[in-house]
Amino acid sequence: MRVLRHHLPHFLMIAPFLVLFGAFFLYPILSGLYYSFHDWNGVREPVYVGLENYTRLLGSRDFSRAMWNLFQYIAITVPLGLTVAFCLALLVDSFTGRWANFFRNAYFLPVVLPAFLAATIWRWIYAPNFGLLNMMLGWVGAEPVSFLNDTDTMLYALIAVDVWVSAGFNMVIILAGLKNIPADLYEAARLDGASKLQQVIHITLPMLAPVLFFVLTYAVISAMQVFDTPWLLTGSSFSEYGGRRGALLFPVMDMMGRAFGGVQFGLASAYGFLLTIAIIAVTALLFAVRTWSNRR
Amino acid sequence: MTMRTTAASLLALALATGGSAAGAQTLEYWVYSDFAQGEALALQQEFIKEFQEAHPGVTVNIVGKGDDDLTAGQIAGAASGNLPDVFMNAVGVGAQLVDVGALANIHDKWMAMPEEFRAQFNKGAVDNCAPRPEEMYCIPYTGYGTLLFRNLTVLEAAGIDTSAPPADWADWLAQMEKVKAAGKFAIPDQALVFNSIAEMYGVTGDVSTWGIDWESKTTRIDPAVMTSVLEKFVAMQPLTSGPSRNDQATKDLFVTNQLAFHTIGPWVNPTYVEAAENSGLKYDFVLMPGETADKHGGIKNFEIVGVAPGENLDLAFEFATYITAKEQMARWAKLLSRYNSNAAAMAEADVAALPLVARSVEAVEATMDVSPPYLIQPVPACYQSTVVDYVSATADGEFTPEEGAEEMIAELNDCLAG
Amino acid sequence: MTSAAAARISVWTVLKWATAIAIAVITIFPIWWMINVVFSLPGEPVAINPRLWPTSLSAGLEKIEMIFTQTGYLRAYGISLAYALLTILGVLFIGSLAAFEFALFDFPAKGPIFGIVMLSLMVPTAVTIIPTYLLTSNLGWLNSLQGLVVPGLASAFGLFMLVQFMRAIPKDMIEAARLDGAGHFQIYWHVALPLCRNALVTLAILTFMQTWGNYMWPLIVTTSPEMYTVGQVVGMFNAPLSHQTVDVVMTANLLAAVPPLLFFLIFQRKIVEGIAMSGTKG
Repeated sequence: MRVLRHHLPHFLMIAPFLVLFGAFFLYPILSGLYYSFHDWNGVREPVYVGLENYTRLLGSRDFSRAMWNLFQYIAITVPLGLTVAFCLALLVDSFTGRWANFFRNAYFLPVVLPAFLAATIWRWIYAPNFGLLNMMLGWVGAEPVSFLNDTDTMLYALIAVDVWVSAGFNMVIILAGLKNIPADLYEAARLDGASKLQQVIHITLPMLAPVLFFVLTYAVISAMQVFDTPWLLTGSSFSEYGGRRGALLFPVMDMMGRAFGGVQFGLASAYGFLLTIAIIAVTALLFAVRTWSNRR
Repeated sequence: MTMRTTAASLLALALATGGSAAGAQTLEYWVYSDFAQGEALALQQEFIKEFQEAHPGVTVNIVGKGDDDLTAGQIAGAASGNLPDVFMNAVGVGAQLVDVGALANIHDKWMAMPEEFRAQFNKGAVDNCAPRPEEMYCIPYTGYGTLLFRNLTVLEAAGIDTSAPPADWADWLAQMEKVKAAGKFAIPDQALVFNSIAEMYGVTGDVSTWGIDWESKTTRIDPAVMTSVLEKFVAMQPLTSGPSRNDQATKDLFVTNQLAFHTIGPWVNPTYVEAAENSGLKYDFVLMPGETADKHGGIKNFEIVGVAPGENLDLAFEFATYITAKEQMARWAKLLSRYNSNAAAMAEADVAALPLVARSVEAVEATMDVSPPYLIQPVPACYQSTVVDYVSATADGEFTPEEGAEEMIAELNDCLAG
Repeated sequence: MTSAAAARISVWTVLKWATAIAIAVITIFPIWWMINVVFSLPGEPVAINPRLWPTSLSAGLEKIEMIFTQTGYLRAYGISLAYALLTILGVLFIGSLAAFEFALFDFPAKGPIFGIVMLSLMVPTAVTIIPTYLLTSNLGWLNSLQGLVVPGLASAFGLFMLVQFMRAIPKDMIEAARLDGAGHFQIYWHVALPLCRNALVTLAILTFMQTWGNYMWPLIVTTSPEMYTVGQVVGMFNAPLSHQTVDVVMTANLLAAVPPLLFFLIFQRKIVEGIAMSGTKG
């Protein structure tokens, strides 16, 4: 009782957050977990089915395809996105004054657009014939490419949009990290005769490691939940989604389709938890790698 | 809830259409977004006004939603008991809506309507709404049969005589090849969406081998017919423009004289009319050719009006019968030059005189239902995606047509069994 | 020697400028192109007009007028703004109250509570959307601002960010204030909040961008047109089977981008600096 009174001010201060968090996050998550063991269409009484939703998903073709697509997507988009952001940051950092501001703002501009807008613009840039890209291919006499309907190009088309949208955000964070590196480190290296490239490898990258780790973790977690952009690029609807031969089918899309298209909310919840487990596992792996490399 | 009723009564006052706000009954009426824009909205509001005048104290709120948002909103609404009272949707989504309890069984109410009213509708469309004896879940509303839009400029530039539509598949394919040789696109990629695949299936097959047999949980697709259909996809693959028939890019290719053929419903026509006025587009619309000269490809698809169970059911049903009745559907058809499933309205002289309506009536007559049988059970998401996948993969050359058909059918049966 | 070095530098400089400008073109051009699509005559073939610059001011204005008069876009602006502003206020206040405690004080179960909140960052929103919706509906909050706003107020990301910042506040300052007789809430209000003003601004901006672009939640919670957000109105145009032409679709989209673009142009320095800080402190 005394302990409680002693800590009462603290609990009062966090109470609003905890109440809302409990009601609108914790409770829905737990009830989602409950429904994932049930056959439930959102209306009728849920019927307990044990692990059936999970086993059905693990055996389903679309689930494996979505996961495989996700793996390929992350393997390219995360390293590429971070590399581009890093290079942009170095580039902007090499300017000073007004021009540094100008380029930084210009590269940041796509971040400001609402999520659905970037996909809509790019859908038209990729359009055959009169789309900007095919028009440019036409100028150099190349054959038109059906970027969003050719299974060989679809994934890359998505990644390009993704990098276009997110590079500015990561660039700004990395840029701030660059500013925090003491200038005398570079000065000393220069006196030792280190080239620009050597400076980047031996000073910039190690000093930036904590920032890069934050950016990497954030990029991986959000890439695993990718939804809006591929959904809009493929013109998906709840009954047909994922584009030609499911080349842009991702887990959250499949989950939404099963929930609102197939009205199988139990199955969709199970889907969500499988994805959650994957996200937690990957995040834990990232942290483990960091701990391991710090110890070395 | 209080917010909503407050807003509703405010709206009732603002509209000032008679009747006091106290004790007022309000109907929520959900439609596709294009019903809630421009002149279509104006006419819907006229129907509503007439209905409100005949029913003092009643307010009808019309709400437009994109296709997916309509279904998602209804399913979410069903889960929480906040359903719209009257709504339209595609008949293909009907089974999901029955499953979540969003559609009331209106069999008795329907039978209580005068025979003269019931006989107004397209017979097949009514049957679609009544899956089992004593069960009926919807009133047929609008609909379409596939039309083949032809860009005459492109065809003539390729040296094709456009005075008559292609007689049969062989003729049509030959024309498409000529278009390609002339450096233009023949047709959108028909292998991308379920409906355009169904249209191509209709070229060779018919409804007797299409859809799902729910008794045995197997597909009714016939391997021999599907093989022949897949051969057509292989032949068309090099001639396609890339995007699907539904893609907005397809309309733009057609309008800018890059695309010869577009199989779709009549709703694209206003866009093409506008292009004809602005940029001199020359086009017409005909029935889709079939395997032989006496057959036609394509699909028919209907939208329905459903009413939700609940205290407003009686009034909602009355409103539904009002908007679907001949007088209203004839006005609707005349304004938009669009087909609907009220056959009596379609037969009225000044409606039947509209070329788009006349052609659509023929098309509905000549084509097969897109996903029969309706309203039995929700079709699992894997069904349509499996069909689309195997067609695209075969068109890409990954399977021979025989293999593609065989594996597709096996996988469809797995999908239905799981 | 010196001239060779000078030549090398100038090659390097030219290359650098060329790259920087080329990338700026890539990031800005799609937005410019969208504007050109809006401000051109409908149905004009690309062969004649490749949309590289605006060609018809009046056609663009006509489309904008059409959308404003036919779709309730202005009301949607109002709803979206109210939704964003109320969410920002709530997230900042509730989040900073909690962050103050988590960052600066010890109390029972602090670690586990914080851990659970952080874990929730990894659950895709699609998992929780239906249960959250049912709860909101049971509260009678469908088609209302509180239904839009309240479920999003306990932002785990916001808490995480503010905690990172508040950890930097020296404990001495808190103690000094306490010795001066300040109460717990007063310390929070007069000491902690002013010290993390930058973090609050950043969070406000991120919250604005996120709520402005939010689509799924408004879609199921506000079903009546009087409560449509900008995203929903644009969604009617973006629907796969929408019967609109590109230029009209683009107009609807462009109008949705105007407020965030203005917001960015006005607050660009704060925005960029704020986001930078959130990453480097984390």
